[in-house]
Amino acid sequence: MTAIIGYLGVLVAAIGSAGLSVVGFQVMRGSKPATAARLRLPMLGVIGGSLVAMGALEYGLLRDDFSIEYIANNSASTTPFVFKIASGWAALEGSILLWGLVLAIFVYSVYRQVARRDDEDRLGAGALFVLGLVTLAFFAMMLTVSNPFRVCVDPGAVGCFGASNLPWSGSLAALEGRGPNPLLQNHILMAVHPPMLYLGYVGMAVPFAFAMSALMIGSSGSDWLERTRVWTLIAWSFLTLGIVLGGLWSYEVLGWGGYWAWDPVENASFLPWLTATAFLHSAVVQKRRGMLQAWNFVLVIATFALTILGTFLTRSGVIVSVHSFTQSAIGPVLLWFLIAVLVLSFGLFATRIHVVSSAPRLDSLVSREGAFLFNNLLLTVFALVVLVGTLYPMFVEAFSGDQVGVGRPFFDRMAIPLSYGLLLAMGIGPITPYRAARKSVVWQRVKTPLRLALAVTAVAVVASYRNRFLLLGILLAAFVMFVIIRNLYRSAAVVAEKRSMSLPSAVLHVMRGDPGYWGGQISHFGVAMLALGIAVSANLSVETEVFLQPGETATVAGYDVTYVGQFTREEPNRTVIGAEVEVGRGDRVVSVEEPSINRYALNGQSVATPAVDESLAGDLYLSLRSIGPDGARLGVWWFPFIWLVWVGGFVAGLAVLWSRFAGQRSGEKPVAVDRSSVGA
Amino acid sequence: MGPDRRAVLGRAATVVLAVIVVAGLFMGDARPEDRVATLGASIKCPVCQGEAIIDSPSPTAQAMMEVLEEKVAAGETNRQIFDYYRQRFGDGIVLDPPLEGKTLVVWLTPILGLIVGGLMISTRRRRPEQSSAEVS
Repeated sequence: MTAIIGYLGVLVAAIGSAGLSVVGFQVMRGSKPATAARLRLPMLGVIGGSLVAMGALEYGLLRDDFSIEYIANNSASTTPFVFKIASGWAALEGSILLWGLVLAIFVYSVYRQVARRDDEDRLGAGALFVLGLVTLAFFAMMLTVSNPFRVCVDPGAVGCFGASNLPWSGSLAALEGRGPNPLLQNHILMAVHPPMLYLGYVGMAVPFAFAMSALMIGSSGSDWLERTRVWTLIAWSFLTLGIVLGGLWSYEVLGWGGYWAWDPVENASFLPWLTATAFLHSAVVQKRRGMLQAWNFVLVIATFALTILGTFLTRSGVIVSVHSFTQSAIGPVLLWFLIAVLVLSFGLFATRIHVVSSAPRLDSLVSREGAFLFNNLLLTVFALVVLVGTLYPMFVEAFSGDQVGVGRPFFDRMAIPLSYGLLLAMGIGPITPYRAARKSVVWQRVKTPLRLALAVTAVAVVASYRNRFLLLGILLAAFVMFVIIRNLYRSAAVVAEKRSMSLPSAVLHVMRGDPGYWGGQISHFGVAMLALGIAVSANLSVETEVFLQPGETATVAGYDVTYVGQFTREEPNRTVIGAEVEVGRGDRVVSVEEPSINRYALNGQSVATPAVDESLAGDLYLSLRSIGPDGARLGVWWFPFIWLVWVGGFVAGLAVLWSRFAGQRSGEKPVAVDRSSVGA
Repeated sequence: MGPDRRAVLGRAATVVLAVIVVAGLFMGDARPEDRVATLGASIKCPVCQGEAIIDSPSPTAQAMMEVLEEKVAAGETNRQIFDYYRQRFGDGIVLDPPLEGKTLVVWLTPILGLIVGGLMISTRRRRPEQSSAEVS
């Protein structure tokens, strides 16, 4: 019954999507007048159908309904509550369903915007036409190749061996489910990271739809840009948080002592982030200076295409082996969808290029827009590095059968100089005037921050740190931070004097006066923290492996690591075999950690779970490699200041909140601060 | 202290600090390069999924790390060590693509992108006589 209701939900959502597309198309063409009423019914179908479908899957998961194949193979009666919920998107079909639901929510907010306007909103209607098609594609996949409501016809004692695509065929329940992949039920972050990432991924469909609509209508100008900027910001924010949470998950769960490995799954999420970040910056140039119109279309199309590519890479099995994706039903479908998106959108773009191309209006490279162009160049090249590095090995293997290895050393070597360049642009760009900046003005604004950053770096040199990557990272990150702080301080000092305010309230006043700009600056500050965290933790980390007998102590990075003994703990879904480890510093015990190996009985897999002693100075990271009666083998890492990576990442992602909500309260008159006068 | 003297002192401080930092950058790391770690991060663990042998706790990777340590201790060059693993496991074993043959594409595409993009930006400039006054 649950399966039938869920499947009907998917069906209703698919029909609603098609209806939304048709009505959207008619309104866009101007052949039928737009009435909110005509859009309402199909919209209701999309949002209602997808909610019912997701609800049905979650209901089935909580009820341990093992007559549904997805549930029998991805959950178990002993799975803890939170992970039962998270199982709803932990595997292929569920994750596509979540994709559809998130998309439906975005489409709904676009619909709300269109419905609220009194005028004939052809641009918005065209966007709904495109979004309807995208939504239809995903719900059609759920009806066919990626059906989360397949019912079990060949149940086993554990899990389901054969299923039928039609939920009304007679189903038989498996006795017990297989349970989620151990890696996915080992940490609470798994419940949060994928939805975040999806909100980011899927949100990029909205700017894409508006861009397509603008091209179809043939409207030049930046009205589509204005209307999608907020959604792009929100989607970007979720994507950023999703990526950071993914890194944190990798660090807390996988136990290899890192958070980013440049593996294809990570790269897949990073690619649209790079192009979306480039777009957020180049959109400002179009808004302020009317430049880069065509380029913005390219970035928006590329970002959306990369989210589809990412879904294809992570969901088709192509990563495990390039030859396995044709065996998965959804792989070829996603690939065709990607090709269709690329051909149709770039085809449309090519036929409308005369409408969107803007005259070159760059007065000087030394200007705000010059810095934005530099930023876009670096981000695009960065995306190119990641794209080619990720796809090329797959191409070679698919077409010649040969293997080529492209991994961390290559990506690091390319990413590090690009990141330094981006930090430099981040430091200088935001305080450089538009059009043609006098070099003396720029120098006035950067000289003090530069001096301070040099001083901090000189201290590191004197303290005998000579690692080039570390020193450059400190120099550039500190430079960015000091530029932002100085800029804020100077602006606030002017306001404080003009309005005889205290400095702190003047700071708030300035930041609320231009929330878009300052939201961006907060985000930059977060990125600088993140960069500093990466530079310090990567270059000053200590790594070692120790074998300790009970009672024995090893010293790592000034910490005494004592192996107390082995423990075993039975939990409903797993057996935890762990080492009790005392972490001491000097004479006192700092903490007791329990790195463990967790054995999941239902699928017979074991997963090592690291334990981390966190402090402001850094993390002592313990990973259990093996354990027996004679002792325990532990991987021990010391990561100084690694919290900067997480905090910086969250600040960067959450800064969007400032842009959105920190604006002046009504009634209070914003004071115009001429930023060019601040440099004096 | 007059504003002139302060400016001179400030400039002098900048120069001194810059000299220290640049010296620090060029003196190089006091710690000798850990070749085992660098190479270990460049060789793929053949039984894992996209992990380097230094990151993987699997017995295969551990055994490969031991071989690597011996080779580094015996003074073999990076090239010799990479060739050793390539012969046994194929080209895909080395995660650091060489600047030659099939992996040339991976290196040249971004560089080409950088050049093309740089050219596009520099040719988008308006002619100098048209340029207008600075605004902020």
